[in-house]
Amino acid sequence: MQRTGHVHFSDQTHRVAGSALLLTFDGVTKFYGPVIGVNNISCRIGPGITGLVGANGAGKTTLIKLASGQLRPTDGKVRIGGRDAWSTAAKHHLGYSPDLNSFYEEMTGRQFVHTMARLNGFSRALARERTEHVLEEVGMADRAGRTLAGCSHGMRQRIKLAQALVHDPWLLLLDEPLGGIDPGGRREINELLLRLAGQGKTILISSHILIEIEQLAHSMLMMSRGRIIASGTLAEVRDLMRYRPLVVEIAAEPARRLAALLTENPDVLGVEMRDGALVVRTRNPRVFFDRLGQLICEHGIDVRRLQTLDAGADAVFDYLEQGRS
Amino acid sequence: MNLLRAWSTLATLSFRRLAWSTSTLMVLLPLAGCLLFVVRRHYDRPFSEDEFRDFSEFMILVFASFVVPICALAFGTASIGGDREDRTLVFLLVRPIPRPLVLVAKFTATLPLVLSIVVGSYWLYCRLAGEAGQVAFSLYLPAMILMTLAYVSLFHLFAVTFRHATIIALIYALFMEVILGNMPGIVKRVAVNYYGRSIMYAAGEPEGLKPPPAEWFEPLSVQTAAWALAGIAVGGMMLAAVIFSRREYRDLT
Repeated sequence: MQRTGHVHFSDQTHRVAGSALLLTFDGVTKFYGPVIGVNNISCRIGPGITGLVGANGAGKTTLIKLASGQLRPTDGKVRIGGRDAWSTAAKHHLGYSPDLNSFYEEMTGRQFVHTMARLNGFSRALARERTEHVLEEVGMADRAGRTLAGCSHGMRQRIKLAQALVHDPWLLLLDEPLGGIDPGGRREINELLLRLAGQGKTILISSHILIEIEQLAHSMLMMSRGRIIASGTLAEVRDLMRYRPLVVEIAAEPARRLAALLTENPDVLGVEMRDGALVVRTRNPRVFFDRLGQLICEHGIDVRRLQTLDAGADAVFDYLEQGRS
Repeated sequence: MNLLRAWSTLATLSFRRLAWSTSTLMVLLPLAGCLLFVVRRHYDRPFSEDEFRDFSEFMILVFASFVVPICALAFGTASIGGDREDRTLVFLLVRPIPRPLVLVAKFTATLPLVLSIVVGSYWLYCRLAGEAGQVAFSLYLPAMILMTLAYVSLFHLFAVTFRHATIIALIYALFMEVILGNMPGIVKRVAVNYYGRSIMYAAGEPEGLKPPPAEWFEPLSVQTAAWALAGIAVGGMMLAAVIFSRREYRDLT
């Protein structure tokens, strides 16, 4: 587990993969003119689901575009199974779902996926068979007859996923694939991705919503300002965040009594009243929440609302970034 | 995985999408304008030297110099440019088809479409123009085909190079082809239509077509002009293939 720009997953994670089924970034830097997109990134991503998390503009899409061979690194190498990601040979193994909402709008979902299968060189019959199979897998078999222009955002997301899967690649690069999908659909997609990971596929999935990835990924890459600021298994990344300061808003009765009790806690850095609720700053969220539970039970405090104010990915990244610098 | 199958799917897909695009509607307007002109001025006239000269000048100065580049522009820039603007190019770039072959598939889809529109409408005008048109058809057809090839290739080069290729190509067509192409001196050599006109004037001369005064238009030999057009077609496509295979299209997402 490291908190540097160079990230190497534990050997154990990828021993099963061998060198053939790895996506590797080796000292990769990408400049857009004078602006740096990703900065000196080294990591190896093997079978299973790896979450790529970061705020907007962190460099996630650049990293995925480098991996899908749409961009070439200014410095360093990106390899898919040992082959340069820019090469045609690497693209045989690649399934890519972009973070854009563009299609051949006049086609139906089924025609689109079938066309993508044909563009992978499949015969008409095999393309038809694979199309039906992946449409079934993404839950679109009964709705794929609609033109894409008439599909909802969630349906279009599923079609994008289907076209990425249609040629059965071992590497899946999914850029924000869960955006716009309802909770039920999200569960189905998560199950599908877990099933694919179970088959030994390497899946890199990006999101700016940490919780979305937590449910799926067995390992994480956290990006900020073009660098990987944390990586490792989910437990390792959670450990890093365990001791980060947190602001919690609590609407409770009696509020003054709770405020007095909380100030006795050495991990509480400050308490203030804001719009009738307590805003508490703590430096050790885990200990704080344990103690809060005890106080509520012991003193019969009625808690109406409890929410963390800076638990979003940005706050996590800011914290990790501060620790890194 | 069969590369030929993937390539032919791309070529067919591109042809179908181009044929049903707004480009088709766009080229109908100038073609219809030419049709009206031909019907009004030349419909079913008997052959005479004046009639032939009149029809030839219209074909050379309006159809070949303006309408042919507009047709090539409409489809040539849209074949890759349309995918760039719609941001669907990303779905092609991540497929296991070498980038130069993606471009060749696009060119292969575009060329028959533009050729069939140019040659088909030219044939129709010649039929409607009576005997003068029938004489003109075979005389100018090779130049029309070579010009179409050169223009389609050139506009593919524009499409892979510039983000807003249609606008750049329109500026090129109006400025370079229409203005510089009609300037005295050697500056007109930057225009594709200069080479086409050199061939057409040489082909029509035995039938009574008079080329413009030498101080305005110094034609090249037929052979040189034909090689120049073929060179633009081949060179343009090769350059486009090199650019397309190396270029990052950052505007896609």
